[in-house]
Amino acid sequence: MRFRSALAVFVVSGLFLTGCSAEDDSLLVYSGRSEALIGPLVEQFEQASGIDVEVRYAGSAELAAQLLEEGTNSPADIFLAQDAGALGAAAKAGLLTAIPDEIFELVPAEYSAADKSWVGVSGRARVLVYDPAEVSELPVSIFDLEAASWKGRIGIAPTNASFQAFVTAMRVIHGDERTLEWLEAMRENAVIYEKNGAILEAVESKQLAAGLINHYYWYARAMDVGQAQMNSRLAQFGAADAGNLVNVAGVGILRASENASEFLSYLLSESGQRYFAEETREYPLVGGISPADELVPLSELQTPEIDLSDLDTLERTLELIRQAGLI
Amino acid sequence: MQRPPIAAAVLGIAAALASLLPIGYLLLRLAEGFEAALAELVRTRTLELLLNTAGLTLSVSLTALALGILQAWLTVRTNLPLAPVFAVLATLPLAIPSYVLALGYLSIFPWFSGFWAAWLTLSLATAPYVFLAVSAALISSNFAAEEVARSLGKNRLQVFWSVSWPHIRPAAFASGLLVALYTLSEFGAIALLRFDTFTRAIYNAYRGSFDRTSAAALALVLVALTLIVIFFERRYRGDRWSAPSSSGRRRLIDLGGLKLPSLMALSVLGLAGAGLPIVSLIGWSLNQRAFDLLRLGELVVSSLLVALAAGLIIGIFALAISVWNLRFQSRLSGVVDLTAWTAHALPAVVVALALVFFGANLLPGIYQTIWLLLLAYLILFLPNALGLVGTPIALVPRSIEEVARSQGLSKNAALGRVVLPIAAPGIIAGIALASLTVLKELPATLLLRPNELDTLATELWQATEVLAYSQAAPYALALIIIAGVPALFLNAQARRLISEVS
Repeated sequence: MRFRSALAVFVVSGLFLTGCSAEDDSLLVYSGRSEALIGPLVEQFEQASGIDVEVRYAGSAELAAQLLEEGTNSPADIFLAQDAGALGAAAKAGLLTAIPDEIFELVPAEYSAADKSWVGVSGRARVLVYDPAEVSELPVSIFDLEAASWKGRIGIAPTNASFQAFVTAMRVIHGDERTLEWLEAMRENAVIYEKNGAILEAVESKQLAAGLINHYYWYARAMDVGQAQMNSRLAQFGAADAGNLVNVAGVGILRASENASEFLSYLLSESGQRYFAEETREYPLVGGISPADELVPLSELQTPEIDLSDLDTLERTLELIRQAGLI
Repeated sequence: MQRPPIAAAVLGIAAALASLLPIGYLLLRLAEGFEAALAELVRTRTLELLLNTAGLTLSVSLTALALGILQAWLTVRTNLPLAPVFAVLATLPLAIPSYVLALGYLSIFPWFSGFWAAWLTLSLATAPYVFLAVSAALISSNFAAEEVARSLGKNRLQVFWSVSWPHIRPAAFASGLLVALYTLSEFGAIALLRFDTFTRAIYNAYRGSFDRTSAAALALVLVALTLIVIFFERRYRGDRWSAPSSSGRRRLIDLGGLKLPSLMALSVLGLAGAGLPIVSLIGWSLNQRAFDLLRLGELVVSSLLVALAAGLIIGIFALAISVWNLRFQSRLSGVVDLTAWTAHALPAVVVALALVFFGANLLPGIYQTIWLLLLAYLILFLPNALGLVGTPIALVPRSIEEVARSQGLSKNAALGRVVLPIAAPGIIAGIALASLTVLKELPATLLLRPNELDTLATELWQATEVLAYSQAAPYALALIIIAGVPALFLNAQARRLISEVS
């Protein structure tokens, strides 16, 4: 019995006591994007480059906190995050090295950090998903949702990072007071969900008239069940509305190396960007690469004028959302 | 006074130092921005959080105590039909991570949120701690004294208060302490059910603003709350070991007209704590289109190995501290025992980040290996095992040990040949409970695991990150089944004691 226990400990440690030192032709990536999303792309890169990539998956915010604690002793080479806020936190702590110019210039400036600390790799648009049988007149502004006619008919996910980024955008454009008013109206009107996916499910199954989500959830589902089977439709608000925000997932380099640059170049190469377009139905950010067929091109989206680096003031946003009683 | 075995003292001090790591880390962070942290603490929001946290902790503890004691009394002391079945039902919620319990409810009742939702979910999730501890204590009740009291004309309730309660009080208080600290540190369910406590505010400080100083300030308040809770537990639990041992023959109390209401109450509790969430998970699982069984098998194996290794390590340290503090008590051993508890109410993310900090900067050799993860589990879950391991060790009469010594056995040999065999079931129970808790743990596992280690809990998290909850259901179900094994073992052990007594 005692021998077996010792054996178990030994086996466990033997299995996992590997890879604590980074070798020359390997790369450690901290990924705030999930394995289902990023795993296949990493494999493609490994095959194309012969570089060994190890990936550590967790939430973007948790990984940012981890990087802050590790400081300059982090074993990570690259931080791949779901949103600008987590990258901004790492940049602010001085952990990110400047992205090489030839890579940085591949992406339009509005989708990366102004100080070159990180570069955007893919975009997702905030959209209104709606049931055409229930919604005859589409809202022109995000503020139209404050009307009493929307009571109980609009779904939101206040704990979701993309929703919070959109609220931050609203604060930047309209100020805190107006934003709080809108949030309080949502307290009256909205049905609360934990995730974007659940909102889409609810609209699809006709439990809900409409909801605020990211565009790719709809396309991913359409890819699964066939476009013709979708009950719901997507729409955006009027020109430059905060509700049309485009969030980006981006990459920062913690330890500069040939391999790190090669990995970044791959993500922004034609095959990397095609992967985001076709597999995750996101917007490619590199000019000249078009999104999957049915998507409105990014350049035609009527996005709000906003600097993504301004979206790192999440604390105040959370406070307002809390004050409105939504979380 | 005798000196403790060196191994016990060394292990005990090592465990205490490990438990102090997170607190040391918090003080370090606090020192970086003391004024900002102070500003964070004097906001009215902090008071609101304090009231929320205290209210939830108090109400959950009292409810879990009431439910657990009721379930234990009915299944152990009365002629309730199907008592063993109800005992299993009372144990099962232990195998369900509280975030899964919350999800189960949310998937059926989307409006389920706020204080009452958090109260209900956590009370159901923690009642098994009380149930198991009190069941074991009730089995060794002083039945003769109960009968005497009855014959003097006291009613059942009076007998319970005057005879049974003093006897089960230490067990009830010890498990109540676990429940209170569990509630203080709980994040997953609280976040899903949207109720603000200190722990949720700490997570938000990390996630929303990456503000480690205010997170540290809030976490230190939590440590202070822990010390207060421990103080009250120690003050009022009564002497753990003075209770008279079992005497008299166990006679089952006839419930009479209360039989039907009791059956109904236990059925509702079983349904709410285990039935409903499990049924909803099975429903979701059946909706799956394709599912990778091989992958599930791998996850089960890796989860089990890690949980078992962690359970064994925790069991060894718990044994060392218990032997030291219960058989060779000294001021130092008392401090060690107390220290092991201090980090227990800290949210797992705080303990994990503390180890990230120390690991990456001071111990890069074990950073992101299984060893640092096991250390985190030791810090987080040592108290879960301490009670179970300690009770039987304390109950071995000193005279037996003395006889062994007088026969020429050394101190260590007497411990090993006499005390340990008697205490073995308690040690195994402690390992089972620790392993089970490790299986369910998520935040520390995510931050500290080796890059290539996936467990059922991390996979469950991955699935809920990308997809709808329905896709995560099979992993949740697998987790419950695996964790159900040690849970049912704990229950079976308590029941075996019954058959020995009666």
